[in-house]
Amino acid sequence: MPFTLEQIHDKTKSYDWPFTVGDSRPKQPTRYIIPPKGKDPFRMLVRDYMKMEAEKDDRTHGFLDAAIRMRTTENADPRLMEVMKLTLPDFTIAEFEAVSAAGGIIASVQNQEIRQGYQAQMMDEIRHTQLETALRHYYVKHWEDPAGYDIGQKALYELPAGLVGVSAFLHFNTGDPIDCVMHLNVVLETAYTNILVVAVPQIAVANGESALASTFLSIQSDEARHMANGYGTLMAVLQDENNIPDCNRALERYFWINHRQLDALVGHQAEYGATVRPWCYRDQWEEWVGDDFVSSYMERLTDFGLQVPERVPKVAEDVTWLHHTTAMALAIIWPLNFWRSPIQGPKDFGWFEANYPGWYDVYGKFWEAHAQMAEPESGQIMMQQLPSLPPLCQVCQLPCIMPRPDSPETRIFDYNGSRIAVCSEGCEWVFRNWPVAYSGRKQFWSLYHGRDLADVILDLGLVREDGKTLVGQPGIDLKRMWTIDDIRRLNYEVKDPLQS
Amino acid sequence: MPRVRFTPFGRTIECAEGEPILSAALSQGYFLRYGCRHGGCGTCKVLVTDGDVDDTGSSFALTHGERSAGWTLVCSSRPLSDCVIDLSAMSLTEEEFLAGDQIEAFDTVIERVTDLTPTIRGVTLRLVNPPQMRFTAGQFVNVEVPGTDNVRAFSMANAPSANSEIELIVRVFPGGHFSEYLKYAEKGQRVRVFGPVGSLRVRLSYRKIIMIAGGSGMAPMLSMLADLAQKKDRRPVTVFFGARTSEELYYVDRLKALCDLSARAEFVPVVEGPGEAWDGERGLVTDAIARRMGSLKGYDAYLCGPPPMVEAARELVVRLGVREANVYFDAFVPTGVLERA
Repeated sequence: MPFTLEQIHDKTKSYDWPFTVGDSRPKQPTRYIIPPKGKDPFRMLVRDYMKMEAEKDDRTHGFLDAAIRMRTTENADPRLMEVMKLTLPDFTIAEFEAVSAAGGIIASVQNQEIRQGYQAQMMDEIRHTQLETALRHYYVKHWEDPAGYDIGQKALYELPAGLVGVSAFLHFNTGDPIDCVMHLNVVLETAYTNILVVAVPQIAVANGESALASTFLSIQSDEARHMANGYGTLMAVLQDENNIPDCNRALERYFWINHRQLDALVGHQAEYGATVRPWCYRDQWEEWVGDDFVSSYMERLTDFGLQVPERVPKVAEDVTWLHHTTAMALAIIWPLNFWRSPIQGPKDFGWFEANYPGWYDVYGKFWEAHAQMAEPESGQIMMQQLPSLPPLCQVCQLPCIMPRPDSPETRIFDYNGSRIAVCSEGCEWVFRNWPVAYSGRKQFWSLYHGRDLADVILDLGLVREDGKTLVGQPGIDLKRMWTIDDIRRLNYEVKDPLQS
Repeated sequence: MPRVRFTPFGRTIECAEGEPILSAALSQGYFLRYGCRHGGCGTCKVLVTDGDVDDTGSSFALTHGERSAGWTLVCSSRPLSDCVIDLSAMSLTEEEFLAGDQIEAFDTVIERVTDLTPTIRGVTLRLVNPPQMRFTAGQFVNVEVPGTDNVRAFSMANAPSANSEIELIVRVFPGGHFSEYLKYAEKGQRVRVFGPVGSLRVRLSYRKIIMIAGGSGMAPMLSMLADLAQKKDRRPVTVFFGARTSEELYYVDRLKALCDLSARAEFVPVVEGPGEAWDGERGLVTDAIARRMGSLKGYDAYLCGPPPMVEAARELVVRLGVREANVYFDAFVPTGVLERA
């Protein structure tokens, strides 16, 4: 007897049908035991989901059209627009790796409900890369200084600032697919979702740019689905108590790594890439990660054996300073950046001191000195003033001056004949436990050891169309921009601190 | 008759003239989280997104900022016009909301009544039907005063693991219904309780903990401390216990023993009254905290006791660095106080 359409629809939505299309063997093996039934609160067919997402795309692209006519970038704060040259491609690499992560899950688990959820997510992530690329294209055409927006994606893989994000998001599609879920869906898209896709658009609007907010809020509207995927997967694997130690270990690892890289980069954008700061990054973190994730989301899961990561108190301590140190480090290496670094002045000092008591004593003098060296006529750059360049952490790729330059927690040790530097106890713990994942990374400084900084800049393609003016600059409103000749005159030789 | 719509569930109720929103919702088959039912505990705090309510009955458990931002307590608020109320802060599922009142009634018998101080009694009730109560450390029950329709709210002082009994700490008010009853209460007498209710509990957190209690407010702290010790929680805890005189302090050895279970817990009794022999901290409990603690940045604060103490402690801990969102409290407001207000 033939089935009715209603029966077929009900059967489809029951998600109890066997996996019959393609090779059913997992492409990425998992050490977790995954039950055949899972929980997907959305239970929406891909076909229906696509219609909804297409409508969202239309609206966002429609807004970009309107933004062109309204000339929204003319009102945008240059600080926001310059630092966004780093932040926006960081988002896109995260989305791109997430596409791959979702594909990894789909190809690896025999649980229809989980697979269905990640099908939707994979399409979301593709949609996000497209929206962000369209936004970047809009900035290339309409921001007053497009240099940097055009090379951002490539630059991420080659420059110290970019390697932080690249190394962060590689975790989404490397190793056990359930570990990838722990990083992507549980830590990044649940614990940090508001920091990323609520606070960043808020800062953009507060600083005069609405096209970014429109794009990001469209992206944000998909995040509840991704959180549900993470929660559903976690609840499925926690059903088997043999999975609990692995879940806790994965959470410990990714909570730490995510903090290191995301708090550094997003905090930098939120406070140094803005003139109007709606609220301080530390408070965002306390509310959304501390209260909402640890005290609320995790509280519900402790009954199933999940534990609060041991290093959360240390993370809460470091989150006060990490992004300030990152901003300082990025300003020091400005010739190797692909944006113009906003100089912080007395008005900023007041805000920082009010929100982070003690800030001036650690960072104030640096920014005053940086301002003194901003014009090419000063004939000096901050890199020359350092006794040596800081090594980059083998795990998180941040410079080893964290959490504060006056109290770095750097550790240097030998591993298989190589000298390894890490920025903290947490990163050393990660390295020692998963050395294969991190030991092959080359130090950026070692690639250019002994070479003149001007040659390094040329090699990396960090000059503008005239072939002379640098893409990166130490300030936004300079009387004259630095050129390759100005750098050549410095006779500054790059030295790998682990070799010298 | 004003209508009240609850979001995000999209259900509407009607409130009779002068009827509190909570009573109307419960009688019409919906569940809202509640505790003391007289504006003292803050469990039923919600956001009024449209319309006006008379919330003069809920005087204590809302800060001025919350009140001006539109928060109200549904147990003691009456609608003045059609209203929309957002229940998101209650973290209810639709299933829970539609299931109706879920506060259970328990038959208990008195196991013992002990004089802890001249004004504080310890009361242990053995659960008969149902024989056990699952509760969270920090919660309370509404106790029906035998022979009356009145209920009084008391926190459990025992750990949730000892769930065949409930141990209450009762401040004696001259002429108070339950106080008068306790004068002559005997082992084996039946008492009905309703619960467990209340949202005070130790939050999962990476922050250190400061507990501040006065009077009978030590009850939930005892329960929470015992629970933390049983769970081998590693967070540092500092417990301040304020009393007017040293004879008003109770369970001092028990508190010390609980703190001794963890190398990271400290117990600080504080006596207000001058002139007596006492070699510990003196003055108001808030003065002692200010003297000993310096900054409280990175702490969660738990407060329980008489309203003036809770109010002063709340202000102090925020001034010393605790985020407002991380201050949790129960204020023990005798029902009569609000009725008189």
